[in-house]
Amino acid sequence: MITVQNLSKAYGTKTVLSAVSAGFPPGCVTSVIGPNGAGKSTLLMLMARLSEPSSGDIFFDGKPVKGIPTSEYAKRVATLRQSSDFNMRLTVGELVAFGRFPYSRGVINDNDRRVIDESIEFLSLEPLRNAYIDEISGGQRQMAFLAMTIAQQTPVLLLDEPLNNLDMKHAVQIMHALRRLCDEQGRTVVLVIHDINFAANYSDHILALKGGQIRFNGPSGETITEALLHDLYDLDFEILSSERGCVCDYFTPRSGV
Amino acid sequence: MKGKGALWTIFLAVIVLALVFVFAGSGLNFEYIIPKRLIRLAAIIVGGICVALSSIIFQTLVNNRILTPAIMGYEAVYLMWQSMLLLVLGTQGLVTIGSGGNFFISSILVLLYSWVIHRWLLGNGNNDIYRLLLVGLVLTMVISTLTQFVQLRISPGEFAVFQGLSYASFNRAQPATLLYSLVALTGVCVVGRKYLPELDVLALGRDQAMSLGVNHSKLVGLYLALIAILVAVSTSLIGPTAFLGIFVANIAYALTASRRHRLTLPTGCAIAIAIFLVAQFLVEHVFNYKTTVSILVNLVCGAYFLLLTVRVRGTL
Repeated sequence: MITVQNLSKAYGTKTVLSAVSAGFPPGCVTSVIGPNGAGKSTLLMLMARLSEPSSGDIFFDGKPVKGIPTSEYAKRVATLRQSSDFNMRLTVGELVAFGRFPYSRGVINDNDRRVIDESIEFLSLEPLRNAYIDEISGGQRQMAFLAMTIAQQTPVLLLDEPLNNLDMKHAVQIMHALRRLCDEQGRTVVLVIHDINFAANYSDHILALKGGQIRFNGPSGETITEALLHDLYDLDFEILSSERGCVCDYFTPRSGV
Repeated sequence: MKGKGALWTIFLAVIVLALVFVFAGSGLNFEYIIPKRLIRLAAIIVGGICVALSSIIFQTLVNNRILTPAIMGYEAVYLMWQSMLLLVLGTQGLVTIGSGGNFFISSILVLLYSWVIHRWLLGNGNNDIYRLLLVGLVLTMVISTLTQFVQLRISPGEFAVFQGLSYASFNRAQPATLLYSLVALTGVCVVGRKYLPELDVLALGRDQAMSLGVNHSKLVGLYLALIAILVAVSTSLIGPTAFLGIFVANIAYALTASRRHRLTLPTGCAIAIAIFLVAQFLVEHVFNYKTTVSILVNLVCGAYFLLLTVRVRGTL
């Protein structure tokens, strides 16, 4: 569905992403992991077309995305960045309605209204619908932004560190919602994430970056191993499995960092 | 008084104010007094619309509620041109060029200036609005300082003329310049109308707007150009308005309790016109031209805005 080929990005003389080629399996949750400065967010921003690659191409359904107008691309790929601080006074409902912009250009019809209702319902945000987003908690705000992205009804969703600054409950809610988007609606979700345990337990596919290059890329069952993670993070991992999933324990290194 | 209700109330108030402005104490003199007042009324309407549109759209583009296009140095360019004119040609020069000529030359200079800095700072895909603001601010200071140098060279009489030009005034407008302004303003409105819904989305920030399918750099470039035209027109027509746009924009946000441009832009225009009408009326009838519109506007708006902040605290 969405693939990148030989994608590179340099800021001045500093290369942050060099010749990355990867495909993102459709209908799956793919987690992009790796240490800080690995180029994860850069990769996501390039795929979202929020910045221009220095070289290389991105393809959507086999077509280079350069040829797709911004307004059309917004019907195929929705992006959620870490919610920025903006000084607008909006209710949750109004924010979610912005998700219909690529279709409605601000004039909401019955179908748009239905999609907005569904998105709000999907994340159980009904009680907050008329609350102002600058008056709700960070986790609730992130849910509201996610609802807007869902209302965009795109086959692909890109999320840049959606769990940042969230408590455990909100983090689980967000990840659970992403899982359901894949399983129930067949959407493709690509997210940049730092919490390896959420990545391991909720994603189908893992793409690991380090130093602007791919370290490994594959189904999470094959990639969440002590050896690979040790190589990626330079940390001593111990993977504990239970019937509820697995826990990657790296908190107390045995041999020092 | 929210949303559409506020809009209609203000429109009604503007009409009443306009009628009072035109007819109060005129003795229904249709030969001289009323035509003169109608010209001033037209200048107030055109100027008010220019100030309101340019300020509100500018605040959306830069995502900041305490800035006006004045920060980009447009008005500084106008003032420098006026002072240079006085230095080189003296007061006689102003007469030779005529107010129509002056209107044209200063509009073109402002447009040229904006074209150069937009090309320089926003050219080839560069999209850093903060850099644009910073350079604009620095240029404003540089140009204003140059203007001050020039002011020291001109005679006190010429300085008095210059000072007159550096305040907003509605007495300067001529039917011809008004007509040109109206044409430019209509053009801007026709082009600008097309992307009003996109403006609402811009308030979510660049990344979110782009993710929702808005071509951010194209839109910013277009609207900055439109703002330059609006400021060129309003400055040449009624003089610098400096930070008056802040009042207009913020009062519009407060009254409509909305950031939707379909509401805030017309409300802002009506507010600007109402403020100008009241100020000009007071200058003419109460203060007998002993004070200027700018001073009154700043005083009245400042007070009113403070009142609004106190009354509707938290919803601003």
